[in-house]
Amino acid sequence: MHKIFVFPVVFIAYVLSLTYSSNLYAQPQGGHERVVAPSIGKPESEGAKIVSGFKFKPLNFVPPKADRVVVENGMILYLLEDHDLPIFNITARIRTGAIYEPQEKAGLASLTGYVMRSGGTVSMPDDKMNEELEFMAASVETSIDRESGSANLSTLKKDIDKSLKIFADVLMNPAFPEDKIRMRKDEVIESIRRENDNPAQIAQREFRKIMYDSKHPYSRKVEGTLESIEKIARDDMIAFHKKYFRPNNIILGISGDFNKDEIIKKLNTVFAGWKKEEIQFPEVPKVDRRFEKAVFYAYKDINQANVIMGHLGIHRKNPDYFPVMIMNFILGGGSFTARIPGRIRSDEGLAYSAYSAFQTSRDIGMFFVSCQTKLESTNRAISIALEELEKIRKTPINKEELTQAKETFMNQFVFRFTTSASIVGQKADIEYEELPLNYLETYLDNVQAVTHEDVQRVARKYLHPDEVKILVVGDKEKFDKPLDSFGKVNVIELQ
Amino acid sequence: MKKKTLLSILSFITFSVFLTSGIFADPLKLDVKEYVLKNGLKLLMLEKHDVPIVCLRINYKVGSVDERPGITGVSHLFEHMMFKGTKIFGTKDYNAEKPLLDREDELVVKISAEKNSGNAADKKKIESLEKELEEVRKKLRDLVVKDEVFSLYLRHGGSGLNAATATDGTYYFCDLPVNKLELWAFLESDRMKNLVLREFYSERDVVMEERRLRTENSPFGLLVEQLNAVTFIAHPYRWPTIGWRSDIQNITKAEIAEYFKKYYAPNNAVIVAVGDFNPADMIKLVEQYFGEIPSQSAPPRVKTVEPEQKGERRVEIEFDSNPYIAISYHIPEVGHPDLYALDVLSSLLSDGRTSRLYKSMIEEKRIAVMAHAYDQIGKYPDTFTFIAAPRAPHTVAEVESAIYDEIEKLKNTPPSDWELQKIKNQLEADFIRDLNSAAGLANEIGHFEVLSDWRYINTFMDKIAQVTADDVMRVTKKYLTKSNRTVAILVKKENNNKTKETKENSKPGKSTVTY
Repeated sequence: MHKIFVFPVVFIAYVLSLTYSSNLYAQPQGGHERVVAPSIGKPESEGAKIVSGFKFKPLNFVPPKADRVVVENGMILYLLEDHDLPIFNITARIRTGAIYEPQEKAGLASLTGYVMRSGGTVSMPDDKMNEELEFMAASVETSIDRESGSANLSTLKKDIDKSLKIFADVLMNPAFPEDKIRMRKDEVIESIRRENDNPAQIAQREFRKIMYDSKHPYSRKVEGTLESIEKIARDDMIAFHKKYFRPNNIILGISGDFNKDEIIKKLNTVFAGWKKEEIQFPEVPKVDRRFEKAVFYAYKDINQANVIMGHLGIHRKNPDYFPVMIMNFILGGGSFTARIPGRIRSDEGLAYSAYSAFQTSRDIGMFFVSCQTKLESTNRAISIALEELEKIRKTPINKEELTQAKETFMNQFVFRFTTSASIVGQKADIEYEELPLNYLETYLDNVQAVTHEDVQRVARKYLHPDEVKILVVGDKEKFDKPLDSFGKVNVIELQ
Repeated sequence: MKKKTLLSILSFITFSVFLTSGIFADPLKLDVKEYVLKNGLKLLMLEKHDVPIVCLRINYKVGSVDERPGITGVSHLFEHMMFKGTKIFGTKDYNAEKPLLDREDELVVKISAEKNSGNAADKKKIESLEKELEEVRKKLRDLVVKDEVFSLYLRHGGSGLNAATATDGTYYFCDLPVNKLELWAFLESDRMKNLVLREFYSERDVVMEERRLRTENSPFGLLVEQLNAVTFIAHPYRWPTIGWRSDIQNITKAEIAEYFKKYYAPNNAVIVAVGDFNPADMIKLVEQYFGEIPSQSAPPRVKTVEPEQKGERRVEIEFDSNPYIAISYHIPEVGHPDLYALDVLSSLLSDGRTSRLYKSMIEEKRIAVMAHAYDQIGKYPDTFTFIAAPRAPHTVAEVESAIYDEIEKLKNTPPSDWELQKIKNQLEADFIRDLNSAAGLANEIGHFEVLSDWRYINTFMDKIAQVTADDVMRVTKKYLTKSNRTVAILVKKENNNKTKETKENSKPGKSTVTY
């Protein structure tokens, strides 16, 4: 119905790629109104001077609050009634993930999360389930990612009973039929076969391998490998599901047109018989904190180099999380206003997409800079990024940059609350991540508290330009300078 | 690629009707208020008071369809320039900047002329001109306030900041906390009247990088570019929105300035606002800031009509990638009654796990890992397109023939009542869900206003309700025919002989400037 090929000015992958966890910039939901301090810097342009004279009324907004309820079987619920529209949504988080699968069966978690839904349940074959759901215009979907499992339900109010039953059935009684397992394996195999078609996919896959020890689950793709996929048996999937899909291991965010007491009753009914069970989570090896400079190169017949460079970063619960977030906004996360895109894209026209990011996880995540530039400016773009890492460590940021970053986070506050589904989703995520339950209520204070000195301190602590690993996918024949000007080049042969 | 949201967002009901009656069988209408300024600028407003935000769009009725060979990509390049500021934004001192910008342009033209003069090119002269250019640019850089439009929006809580160019329109997006409305009116009206084309040459390079990223090194982007170039032999839908490489590299500032004057006039623009505001206040604000901007004469419509296709066309693209196939069929433009049946057809073929293509090609035969069908509704006649990826060792030939099998089935047997009802249920549910999103509503209203009229949305559900199984059969027979189709196949390039690479103008080691 629409033209799908549009050309936006900002690269959408900023938000879609592996860069940010989705709720990274969650905002507070306390009933309090914050007044953001006005800009302190001098406006440099005539227009900005005029704008600084504008009087903006305060935004009177009290975000709705979700209720937290723990039901008898251990399920944690976040509930938020919203009667504006006759719709109903559940978003669930299950503590599981590819980190808990054995290396030789890499892909097990992801496959389990997919076939749970695609294979139907013991009492309802998949064809029937697809037909029922799609005729109601409802959806039930499940998946298991690296460090979490998720399940979602979306339905019209009039179909809550029917679709809730299917939702519970999928979580509790998936059938895992052999033909649907085979079908999914074949699809995954094809998508692995196709990975090298796309330079960005090559770069992301290889960068992970470079960052982490090959024995660590962070080093591999959650989809598994051509070899490991075939080692996964139906029984493995049944056991994996049985182990983690327990009521005491799930958090549900429930929103829409329902009555709280009624929905709790309904949940008790559809999940009746689902028993609590103590779960022994397999030990996940600690990330080996190795920092060393290295250069990697993979050849592909393309006219634009795909660069990812970086090193280990921080985990999600790092006490420096907020200063790091602000520092990265200034360095390369804050779109055009940030330094790395400012120089690589805006000043020199070397890339359409250039940014830096801290990807956080339960253990140490990655810090990286990513950009794509014509082969003839590969070296130049890398050098600029390295210079910027160096600069933010050595030279204090200017006040204006800090204000810009903080005001952006604080004034975008309201957009965290545009739907009831996003509010309960954030609450579920916060609890899942084991962040303080008042995370949203204290968020603005945490942003506000970040100082100038903090930014420089965390830049020094978490950025290591001398120990950066650089990965380039492209054709080195045309690079502006040989890559080995950054160090000895390790060649990656693509299959 | 997923078409679900695309097909779905098309009908709405007013909030008031909905909330008071609690039924959605009522007239499914969106209560958009319309106001037109004397200079022709149209303002479309929809109130939505649940969250204190406002989603604002300024759309211009100009896209790559309005271009010509030599300046393809100018709409998109111009969209980028809209973020570079005005006489009062993005500069410390426009009066100091202006003569330098003029000198920069002169030098670029001179250098280019010298270089193109062949053997007689005077190296010394070029060198000295380049040196001067560098100096001018250094001075210019000192006067720029970097990316100020973007920064100002961000620090005031702007969200979803972006812009996009397509064949028929150019779209500017900005969602703001509602108390910042005046900032938007001030900035946007200034962009409409006082735009300055600064940092033009580096931005042209950015767009070249975008082209490399999205098209030249993307199997999918390349496939679609080639498909369109062969599907249309006369109509401007044949060139890519991002532009041909040589055109992007050579578009001049003069060309882009002329384009701005012709198309970025208030009478060629529409403002959409959805959110927590009062329409009377909004009208006042828009009158205050945009009311004085002079209108221009109406830009011309495209006269070229794509001639009827007289037989199948095929194109093969070699690239370092696994295979893909795309097939397109000409269909009519927005406003044509057959489009509703084509909407249903695309949904029938590829929406969800119970759709025809999914069931037959992915689930049963297992010959493909992706198979989509979508109808593109354009201001001018566009296409109904299939796109699919075979699963090895299955081939594009198998996939192609499986798609034709599904098409032929629909020519002989009508879709079931169950299928039609399912599609209608989904459309209805989708529009209810979409009422949740102020941003989505603003996009839809603005999109259809650019194509023809936002009221398209208000009649959509009724029209869809009238589509019968026979209609679906009829349009399949009418449009999805062999002589009306173009097939593009992307095949793996064997042996990486690297002779094919197009030469670029930029010189290694001196990457700042390309002429």
